[in-house]
This record gives sequence, C-alpha cells and structure tokens, in this order.
Amino acid sequence: MTNTLLFIVLPYLAVFACVIGSIYRTRKEPMSYSSLSSQFLENHGLMWGSLPWHLGILLILLAHILAFVCPGFWQTLTSNQVLLLSIEAAGFGLSILCLVGLVILAIRRLTSPRIQAVTTPMDLFVIALLLAQVALGAAMAVHCKWGSAWCSGTTTPYLWSLLLFQPDLSTIEDLPLIAKSHIVCAWLFILIIPFSRLIHLFAVPLEYLFRPPQNVVWNNSRKLKEECSAFVAEDTRRHFLKAALGIGFGAFLLSVGTLNKVFNFFFGPRLSKKEETELMEVKLAHLESTVDQRKLELERQASNYIMVAALSELNQSSGKYFIDYQMQPAIAFKGKDGLPLLISAKCTHLGCTVGNKVDEQGRILCPCHVSYFNIETGQPNAEAPAKAPLGHLSWVIMDERGSILASRNLEGKTACSVNQQALANGKVYIAKSQEDKT
Amino acid sequence: MSFSNTETVENSKDLKQIDLKLKTNLSLIAFASSLALSFMTANPAQAYPEYQAFVEKNSKRSINCAMCHINEGGPVGNSKGQIGSLSEEELKLLSKARIAFEPGSDVHSPILNEFGNKIISAVGKKKFLEYKTSPEKLAAALGNESDLDTDGIPDAQEYLDGTDPLNKFHGEPVKLFWINLNRCKTHVILTVLAVISINFGLLSLVKGISSIKKK
Amino acid sequence: MSLNSVINSTFQFVKDRFPVEKLNYHSMVEKKEVPVHKMSWGYYTGGLTMFFFMIQVVTGLFLLFYYQPTVSEANVSVEYINKYVAGGSLIRNMHAWSSSCMIFCAVLHLLTAFAMKSFVKPREITWIAGVLLLFITFTFGFTGYLLPWNQIAVNATKVGLQSIEYIGEYLPGQLADVPRIIRETFQGEASVGQSTLGRFYALHVVILPLTLVSLLGLHLLSVQIHGMSQGVDKPAKKSEKFMSIFIFKDLSLWAFIFLCLFTVSMCIPFESFLPYPLLAPYNPLGSTPAGIKPEWYFFFVYYPLEMLPFWVILLASMILVGVLILTPWIFKGASRKTLGFLTILASLYLVVMTIFGEQIYELFKH
Repeated sequence: MTNTLLFIVLPYLAVFACVIGSIYRTRKEPMSYSSLSSQFLENHGLMWGSLPWHLGILLILLAHILAFVCPGFWQTLTSNQVLLLSIEAAGFGLSILCLVGLVILAIRRLTSPRIQAVTTPMDLFVIALLLAQVALGAAMAVHCKWGSAWCSGTTTPYLWSLLLFQPDLSTIEDLPLIAKSHIVCAWLFILIIPFSRLIHLFAVPLEYLFRPPQNVVWNNSRKLKEECSAFVAEDTRRHFLKAALGIGFGAFLLSVGTLNKVFNFFFGPRLSKKEETELMEVKLAHLESTVDQRKLELERQASNYIMVAALSELNQSSGKYFIDYQMQPAIAFKGKDGLPLLISAKCTHLGCTVGNKVDEQGRILCPCHVSYFNIETGQPNAEAPAKAPLGHLSWVIMDERGSILASRNLEGKTACSVNQQALANGKVYIAKSQEDKT
Repeated sequence: MSFSNTETVENSKDLKQIDLKLKTNLSLIAFASSLALSFMTANPAQAYPEYQAFVEKNSKRSINCAMCHINEGGPVGNSKGQIGSLSEEELKLLSKARIAFEPGSDVHSPILNEFGNKIISAVGKKKFLEYKTSPEKLAAALGNESDLDTDGIPDAQEYLDGTDPLNKFHGEPVKLFWINLNRCKTHVILTVLAVISINFGLLSLVKGISSIKKK
Repeated sequence: MSLNSVINSTFQFVKDRFPVEKLNYHSMVEKKEVPVHKMSWGYYTGGLTMFFFMIQVVTGLFLLFYYQPTVSEANVSVEYINKYVAGGSLIRNMHAWSSSCMIFCAVLHLLTAFAMKSFVKPREITWIAGVLLLFITFTFGFTGYLLPWNQIAVNATKVGLQSIEYIGEYLPGQLADVPRIIRETFQGEASVGQSTLGRFYALHVVILPLTLVSLLGLHLLSVQIHGMSQGVDKPAKKSEKFMSIFIFKDLSLWAFIFLCLFTVSMCIPFESFLPYPLLAPYNPLGSTPAGIKPEWYFFFVYYPLEMLPFWVILLASMILVGVLILTPWIFKGASRKTLGFLTILASLYLVVMTIFGEQIYELFKH
C-alpha cells in the first residue's frame, strides 16, 4: 500500500503538479521564472558554493538521464570494467563536490544577514532536501556498489513502466531503503519545482557559456572602477576555468583509456605459470651462455693449452668456431695436408666475425662489407675493403696422455713426430704464447 | 647468404629408406637412432634451403633457419634444438615427426619450432617434400586460418613476406599498421578526444596567464 | 693586444650575448614577437625537437623501470617489456619512433636556421649550443642502439667503434695509438661486452641527458633573450605575439604531432622494418649475420664510408664539423640566397643518401 502510494501515486501527482504548476507560474509570474539572484548581496561565498554545486549536479543529472533514456547504451558502457570503475569514481567525486558546494551555500544562506532578508522558508527546505538527496546518492555509491550498473535492471524498467502507464513495481520492490528513499526524494523534487526556486531548472542559462562575459555593477563611480578590475579578473578566471575543464575532461578520458595501463605498467605483469616457466628458461639460457663466456675467459687465464676440437671433427669445407687467447673468434679447418688450419675470424677491416663456410675457391666471407679471405694464405681478395690478411694461429696436437704429437708455430713451421694414423685420434689445442703468459 | 652448401637428401631415396626400415619392423628407437645417425654422417644438411632461397628472393628480406627450426643454424649440430643434442625421448618424437606423411597428424618435432611443426602437421611431410621444387605453393597449402603469433597476418603471408611468424611485433609494416589501427581504434579515438581536450585546456591556461600579465 | 683588452673584449662579447637588462620575464616572453613570412614554419622545428625530447625523457623513465643493463639480461628485459608489461610495447615503440623523429627535427632545425641566417651576431652562442645539441642527439642514437643487445645492435656498434681506431692510420708516431685508446675507453674491454654495455648505458641514461638539458637551457635562454631572428632579407611586415599566439600554434602542432606519433607507435612496431634474424639476442660465438647496418640517420655517413676511401670521409667530416661550429664567422657576410642554395644542396644530399643510399651502394659495388 505504502509502496503504491510512494512509487505510483506520488510520481504521477508530482509530474502532474510540476507541469501544471510550471505553466501557471510562467504565465502568471514570468519574472520569477528563475532563481532569485543574490550576487549583489554576497559574492564571495556564491562563487565557491554555486560553482562546484552546479558543475557537479549538472554532470550527475546528465548521467542519470542518459542511464534512463538509453539503457542499452548505458549497459554497454558499464559492462566495461574500466569504464564502470571510472564512472563510479567520477560520480562519487562529483557528488562530494556537490555536497561541499551545498554546504557552503547553506552556511552562506544561514549566516549572511543580507541574504537572510531575502531567504524564504521554501529556500531552506529546498537546500535541506537537496542535501539529503545528494547525501543519499553518495551513501548509495558506498553501500550499494555499482549502482550505475545495476540501475539498468531495476530503476530504468520501473521508470519506463511509469512512462508507458503500466506501473510495475516488481523491479524496485526489493531495493534497500537508501535506494527507495533516493527515488522518493526525486519525486518530491519534481513535485516542488513550481513552488520553489527550482523552477530555474527550465531556464538553464546555456547561452552564458557562449556569450561574451558581462558583469553586473553598482552604478556609482568608485564601485565602477573596482568592478572593472574585478571584471578583468573574472575574465582571467573564466580562462582558468576553461583550462581546468579542458584538462580535467582530457585527463578523465585518458584515465578511462590509459590510467589502468599506466598503473599496471608500474604494478608489473603477473605471469601465468606457463609464461613464467618460459621466461625462466630463456633467462637461464642467457645466463648459461654468459657463464660459458666467463668460463672461456677464465680458462684462457689459467691454462696453457686450450682444446679446439678433436682432429677428426675438423673438415675442409666448414670450419669450427673457437675463441683464442685474446677472446677473439677464430675458425679451425682441416688443411689439405690433413693437419689443422687455424685462422683468426676477426675481420681485419672492421672487426666483424668472418663466416665459416669455405667457397669453391677456398675462401671464407666476411658478410659485413664483403671481403673474401683465402684460408690458406689469409689474404683478402683484391676488391675487398679489408687490406690486411687474417692471421693464422699456432697449434699443437696432443694425445690423451698429454704428450705432443705435432705442432705448428706462428711462422708456419710444422713439427710432426708421428705418422698420420697416430695423429687421427689426437686433439687440437692452441698454446699460450709467451706474451699471453705475462 | 648463409645457405648450407652441402647436398640435401633426395626425396625418393629418403622415402625408400624409410619404407625399407618400416618393413623390416625394427623397434622404434633403433629406427630413430639409426635414422638420426644415417643423416648425421651421410647427409649433413637436412634443412631445406630451397624454401629459404625462395623466401629471401620473394620478400627481399634476409631470413635464416630459425623461421621453422629451433636453432638458427639449422638442425645439424650439437647445440640447442639440433640433432646432436637430442635425448632418447626427443629422438622418438623426431622420428615420429619424420614419418608424418599425411596432413593432420600431431607433430612435435624437437628440431622444429612451432611454425615448422605447424607446416608439417598442416600439409604433411609428403606434400612438403613435393613443394621443394615450387616453394610458393606452400603458402597456399598452409591456408589463411592459422596465425600463430596473433599479429593479424596469417602465417602463410608471413612466410611469403619473410617476417617472423612467431613474433607478434614482426610483420610487414604497412599491413601491421592497418590491422593494429583497426584493433585499437577505440584507444586512438579516445586519445584524440583527450588530447584535443587537454590542448584546449592548455590554450586557455596560456590565455589566462597572459591576461593576468596584461593588467 | 694587452691582456687587459683581451679581458675587456671577452667581457663585452659575453655582455652582448647575455644583456642583463633583458633578463626578465617582460622582455623575454611578453614583448617577444615572431615574424610572419614564408619561412616562418622554420620557427616551429626547434620546439618540435624539444617536444620529442620531452617524450624521450618520459618514455625513457618508464623503460628504466624494467630494463637491465647486463649482457645476459638486457635482451630478455627488452623482450619482457614488449611482451608482458602492460603498455610496454607502446612505450618502447614511442621511444624508438620519437628518437628518429627527434633526430629528423633536429637536422631540419639546423638546416632552416642555416638558411634563415639565424646565427649572426648576437646569436653565435645559440648556434654553437645548437650544433653541440645535434651532436649529442646523434650520440643518443648511437648509444641507445646498443642497449637492446641484439645481433644488429652489438655488431653495428662493433663496426662503429672499430672505425674510430681506423683514424689512427692517419696520425703520426705516438698519436697513432690514441684512437685505439679512445675506442678501448668507450669499449671498456678487448671486444664489445659487458663493460661496453655499462658505459653506453651510463652515457645514454645519465650523462647525455644532463648535458643535453643544460645545453638546451643555454640554447633556449639565448633564443628568448634575442628573440626570433628576422629570417628573411626584407623585414617581415607582419608579426605575431610569442605569448600567446605563437605558443598557441606551437601547442596545437605538438598535440597533432603527438597524436600521429601515438597512432604510429601503437600500430607499427619499430623493429618490423628489420629482417628478424637481426633481432635475435647477440651471440658472441657466432658469425656476424648479413645485413648489418646502422640506424637510418647514420646512412648519410655510412654509405659513403662503404664506397669511398676512409680518409676522404674522415677529412670531409672533420671539415663539416669545423664549418658547422665556425658557421657564425664563416658565413657572416653571405647572403640568404647563397645560404638557401647551400641548404638545398645539403638537404638534397641527405635525402638522396638516406633513401637511395643502399641502391647507390649496390650500383657502386657491381
């Protein structure tokens, strides 16, 4: 019974009264078709109270209307989690803004003696009701979270049912008390529009946004001068206001699209088990190759001989890379004589690593600037940018017991103590030179 | 530039060899290891440089064996993803992959990367060996459905373009541009609005500052 | 000339360049006017370069959170940013794209300033600071290229550093060793490795930005003190206020450019122009892959280096550096027509070498 009274009778009554009353008032008392300005009487509090209040309530109302008029569109908006969060946050922020503005306006109305003179009991009632309504809204944002999402399944169908003259309370019956009071309060507002200053809702001064700035001034010379400078200040303030609005709206849009990304960037990714394993594997592989590199360096510091390969592993067409005592790359081939042929792989031009595949003319290629080096002589081809030959390295062949079977020094002189068969099982080493030892 | 210049196996010989082995009903492991052994010694390069040559000529981008293989130096050797480094278990997988002649089989060759395995399971080893003489047909055989790196360019197209089919950030720049623009158009629109609005705000700010100073 | 007169003239020189009476907000910002003529677009190139630098600073700070400058981690950390970090690939792409844009704008700025003869008294300091800024910008590019530690980065850096050592061949006696010592100082060890990465990182992240910011401060200060140069022979009839008309246009241009940069970074990964084997992590034991080349903005010196003898390039670049630094005195009397002609020649060379360098090189080789 109460429900029917509050949610069906009251709305129709309110709307009826609002329409009839407003028409009556605009016809009979057109001059009162706005809220009575009190800028003359008190200016300071008005700025700090009226501005946040109107800014906040305008946006909040627009969002409410959007949610009720285009429920489908609203639903797509709120089904995006980031967007929903932004809407809720913005809505809550704006309602706090409204509350602050309202409180300042209320204090102003209650304390300024000049304004007291023009304040009617209705004005006080309106302020009290507004305070209650905004507080209810803010409380709803806290207690019944995600109102912007669930409204499309509750209050929107209810309103549409009223609009179509088929009142249906089933969707709002189970709402918590806060939400119900919010709705009732809303109907009360519509009801009192024609009887209070709220009538100025129908005279939203949109043209104020576009007209050149004007200011109301007292008609006496001292005041005029004061007000003129105030007028310039007002103009400046208008620019700053626009700046704040523009930057604020831009920041809001950015926050919708990127704030979560920026936050997540610093928050850091949370990987799935599989991704984490993959990443670990890659990291481990890199670390291992670094470890290998360090081991090579250490080995070159410590030992007098470094193994290159078993002689049987070497062949004539494709060389084996190894690292020499200077930590530079070198390649090991098998020469035509069946003995190892060790050649530096650091291009004498700009230090690229030379390839290890031998072409038909017995040459290896540096891919950086196309120099061909003969592996027998080390000489580059005539047109090559590299001019100096690649150096050969000295080597020794040892058997398992570490006795030297054959060797070649830097001058290319070969000493061999055993026959080919015995060599076949030997391993090729590079030896530390006197220079490297010191 | 770094094609392997050693000779490759002739398909008929390869097939015959496998047939023979199958008939003799050797155990799988023996088969696998002997096979691995046989081409490690006799046929050192088992990669298919024809494909690489074709892609490089077609796309004018240089590529290497890592497009389909795990190791950028091809399947032969002792490093990671090369035949010399495989365990018993992996050799089994390898031999299974090597006899996946018909399309549609589940291939997990340890020397191939995801794209390489995809090729074998999509077209089958038999067709793959046939396409060696006309590598451009491989793209058509792969079809346009599969896109392993989800960058919007199908694998087959990436193969033709010589771009990495397994790297989301690698593809023909122009194609990527249109695909990504379409994907993140909401972001772009939001950013356009935001920047316009912030710029408006900044301009007003400048106006405000200059009007203070004018006084 | 006595010592006294030297001191006096030095003092006068500085006083002319930094007049104390003009060091205030009023004359530096409010009174400043920007001439309007057919070359006035040149006035925007400097601001644009600075805008790209600001983007570099912001995105660079973002990247700093994840990048690790060690040989084993560098490549993985870059990949991690690209693959896992929210918005990471966008940030990294913006950093890469914006670096290219910054260098492009800086060169454009130099060319327009030269053509507009914006270097004559009292703007010598502005010009020299600008030339130094350009060099620093190039060094930024060179050091930043190494940081992802992939095949192309390390190998290109090797080649770049090795070219320094080549200079030694043209120096007499003891001096011949100096370039090698310089190279090893930058390199930190016998070949490009961990020490090199550490040094380049320190340069790229701390030293160069600090130097750039301080020089930029000097550059901007002197620009604001002396105002925009006239730019054309006949003094322009029209001019607009710097504050706020010019700033208005500048800001709008920045917003537009930012949108373009954002869209491009969002849609085209910077690396997609390179063949992918070059993006693999650097392998110290493998051979140098084919196709190693520097970033596009070094093409104008790279391709000639490939085709001509080294000493030609060395001589030419030394002359170029000398001329650039001494421009305010060398071209003191030159007419804007001559300067414009020279500028067109230089731009033509830069454009042709950058776009068709590779083809010219191929033609030359075969």
